[in-house]
Amino acid sequence: MKRIQLGEFEEIVLLTVGVLHGNAYGVTIKDEIEARLNREVTIGALQITLRRLEAKGFLKSRTGESTESRRGRPKLFFEITAYGKKALDYTKESRDELWKSLPKLVLKLK
Amino acid sequence: MKRADPPRFLLRFLKWFCKEEYHADIEGDLLEFYDRRAEQHGKTRADLRLLKDVVLLFRPGIVRQAIIHQPINHNGMIRSYFVMGWRNLWKNKLYSSLNVVGLTFGIVCFLLIGLYVYDELSFDTQHSQRDRIYRVITHEKNPNNQATTVAAAGFMLAEESRHRLPEVQMTTRMQRTGRSNLVDPQNPVRVQETVTIVDEYFLQVFDFPLLEGDRSTALKEPNSIVITEDLAMRIFGRVDVLNVNLQFEHMQNPVKITGILKKHPQNSTFNFTSLLSEATPLTNEGFRRWAESDWASTSFTVYALLRADANADSVARKMTRMVNANASLEPGTVVRHSLQPLEDVHLRSEGIADGARNSNVDSIPQGNPVYITVFSFTAIFVLLIAGINYTNLTTARASSRLKEIGVRKAIGAVRGNLIRQFLVESLITTIIAFLVAVLIVALLLPPFNEFVNKKFSLFSSVGLQFWIAAVGMIVLIGLLSGGYAALLLSRFNPVLLLKGLKIRNGGDFSIRKALVVLQFTISTVMIIGTIVLFMQVRFLNNTDLGFDKELMVVIDVNVQKARSNFEWVKNEMSKIPAVQSVSVTSRVPGEWKTLQRIKMKKEGGAGELQVAYAIGADKDFLSTYDIELLKGRNFKNDNDTSSIMINEAAAKVLGITEVSEEVVDIPQIARNNFFTPIYEDANASFKPRVVGIVKDFNFQSLRAKVEPLVIAYNYNPIYPIDYYSVKIQPQNIQATLDKLKAIMVANDEREPFEYHFLDDQLALFYLEDQRSQTILAWVALASVIIACLGLFGLATYSAEQRLKEIGMRKVLGANMFSIMSLLSKDFVKLVLIACCIAFPVAWLGANKWLEAYAYHIDVEWWIFALAGIIATGIALLTVSYQAVKAAIVNPVKILRTE
Repeated sequence: MKRIQLGEFEEIVLLTVGVLHGNAYGVTIKDEIEARLNREVTIGALQITLRRLEAKGFLKSRTGESTESRRGRPKLFFEITAYGKKALDYTKESRDELWKSLPKLVLKLK
Repeated sequence: MKRADPPRFLLRFLKWFCKEEYHADIEGDLLEFYDRRAEQHGKTRADLRLLKDVVLLFRPGIVRQAIIHQPINHNGMIRSYFVMGWRNLWKNKLYSSLNVVGLTFGIVCFLLIGLYVYDELSFDTQHSQRDRIYRVITHEKNPNNQATTVAAAGFMLAEESRHRLPEVQMTTRMQRTGRSNLVDPQNPVRVQETVTIVDEYFLQVFDFPLLEGDRSTALKEPNSIVITEDLAMRIFGRVDVLNVNLQFEHMQNPVKITGILKKHPQNSTFNFTSLLSEATPLTNEGFRRWAESDWASTSFTVYALLRADANADSVARKMTRMVNANASLEPGTVVRHSLQPLEDVHLRSEGIADGARNSNVDSIPQGNPVYITVFSFTAIFVLLIAGINYTNLTTARASSRLKEIGVRKAIGAVRGNLIRQFLVESLITTIIAFLVAVLIVALLLPPFNEFVNKKFSLFSSVGLQFWIAAVGMIVLIGLLSGGYAALLLSRFNPVLLLKGLKIRNGGDFSIRKALVVLQFTISTVMIIGTIVLFMQVRFLNNTDLGFDKELMVVIDVNVQKARSNFEWVKNEMSKIPAVQSVSVTSRVPGEWKTLQRIKMKKEGGAGELQVAYAIGADKDFLSTYDIELLKGRNFKNDNDTSSIMINEAAAKVLGITEVSEEVVDIPQIARNNFFTPIYEDANASFKPRVVGIVKDFNFQSLRAKVEPLVIAYNYNPIYPIDYYSVKIQPQNIQATLDKLKAIMVANDEREPFEYHFLDDQLALFYLEDQRSQTILAWVALASVIIACLGLFGLATYSAEQRLKEIGMRKVLGANMFSIMSLLSKDFVKLVLIACCIAFPVAWLGANKWLEAYAYHIDVEWWIFALAGIIATGIALLTVSYQAVKAAIVNPVKILRTE
């Protein structure tokens, strides 16, 4: 398997899209991340990440209906693809691997 | 609740930079946030946040890619354009030369007319303060509600405006009082000159260049005169004549030359040759006293130099107020002033009488704005026609270049390259045409100058400005005419081109048709215009004016003795065998100087006084001029001093049908615009008896209707002699003139013997029309030729394209005629459509122009028919050359090749 690399923010965005499950579009994703992780997300950073993930094939998007609350502009809903899921799994696994091989001693240093 | 709206520019900025496919939903997100924030924190904070978001969105990945071609070095490409352009032109010599010739014709016309129009428009622009110089115009209404507009004002208006009105920086007065002989006492040769009197500020308001003398003091002292270099040459044969004395014959004191002026350029409304200081007449106590109380005499042409920020209208109103406060006007008279900008004097003085209208001086020639407009349009139209030729020929021939375009595109030419390629080609063509045209103009200039009576030279007479404008215009034409072809040809899809598929260009063909129709519409309008002008000028020159104008020598009376001793002169003249008859008159028919007017009324008759023109004449007047006497009798002898004859028009207004010695009251006379009583006692009037009625004759220009006219006999109050009219035999005219001169000189040795032939003088009325007619005729000819060149090109091309078809038709039995009609039909149809459009346009235009003449030809149907036949005929001839060529070709030759 080709090496999959997910950046930290990419991983968060990907996970959030998963969490929102079917209701993931720009505004909800930003709100969700800000609420859960207590960090500021700029639209620019979020958008560029979403597009990048889509380009890599981790996300797919579909255009929703335009609604009055957005003055006629459509929503772009994102969903995780199977490949995206695999990427998350892979990332998690590789982290777990690392965690497992971490000597106990190091953890006690705290 | 009303929603707060985000600043539009932010969204527009986003739209500008954002990738198209991302834009809609990003904007949606932004708006959703915006609305939420606006609700929570207010509009201002929402705006700021939006700004921040948009700015942060401006990052790679979201910003769309700029559409930029990587510029390498373009020089090679540019050189290639020229090389390829040149090769293409060279390869298609026929079409290229058609294009060049057409454009050359167009540019020659454009340049020549341009020179003329530029000159007319640049009148009086040589004065540096021209924008601030105004001519004072007086609008006067007398108690009888007669309005006059004259370019003159009173002495004090000029004097006091200068002092009292803060907006007026300076004023100057000019007066053209008459003509007098100017003599060099050392070498008494008489030169008759117009006497022009100006005040000391004249040379400061205007900057007529002084060769010698001091601008500010030259005209200060009495008996100072400033003369132009050409007058100095005529009198002295040299120009270094500062401080030399001259003598005006009508003055006692000699005048000293205090300055030498450069010759006037041709685009100057001023044509004086000498300027006498106003201080000279002011030394006369009587004149001074009169002048100092003169507020409303309209004897002076007044120019005002306003300050930079002054408003001319408000200054004029102040002048009006000042004059009305100070002048002692006749009750019921209304005087108003206006200011005419100096630049309007030449072209926009219609209806404004000259300030020197009553003096015996030549009037200042004026331009005709109508002709200027017509000329400007024709110049542009001709150029347009030539440009259309180029467009048509290039687009028509597109299909021969399709392969070339296809290959170019296939090896990587983008559309811009092709467009530039075609534009360079058209520019090369225009530049060649321009250079040839300049050459031709240089050759044509001498006859053209002679013809329009101007002195143009290619580079010195017009400024750089003219050439920049001309070159700009020509580049524009080059771009326009090449532009359409370039856009059209570069649009095709290379795959289709290389596959050899035919490009359907039906739409383009109809544009081409429309352009041909436009060309021929313009040409036909010009042809009609020329015919109408020609007919009208011929009509004016040949109309029976009601009097005999042929072989009539009119001699001006310039010396007093020619007036007092006229019986002797007449007697001597009639002894010359070649002289048929002699008459002395105050004015001559076909008069070009102001005619006197009188007011008259049938004695005891009721109603208003009628205005009539008046001519004083002797008993030989009717026979000399061959004017028909309808009723009554001619003057017989001196007992007729209180007799008059009237023309039909006068008889009508007076209500006289039969001559029975009716007495007519003539209480007032006007030598200028203002009627004054004839006798000192304002209630007395001259009471002549009507002895005859003559047939109406056109004593003025044919632009005017025949007005009432009174012919009075010698020795009465409305009679001064000003002219001898001598009807002579056609043989040996010069000898007869010499004899006439000998008699005049014998009568008074100071006699300058000024004469002209009446028919020449009358033709001067219509000189401008004649000139315009000729110019228009040439331009019309050129436009037809250019249009036909284009047609020729199109016909050649269409014949070439259809060679195969023609071959087949011939094989199948078509005869020559059917093939010719096949090829000509389309083009002739276009020309006929053009005629249909041109006729109403020309009809309207011609009628509008002819309205200016009281006597004019009717625009008849045959003029249109003739123009239509000319246009169609020429077009047919052009096309049929190609048609015949195609029709007689041997079909074997065409069909064999494949």
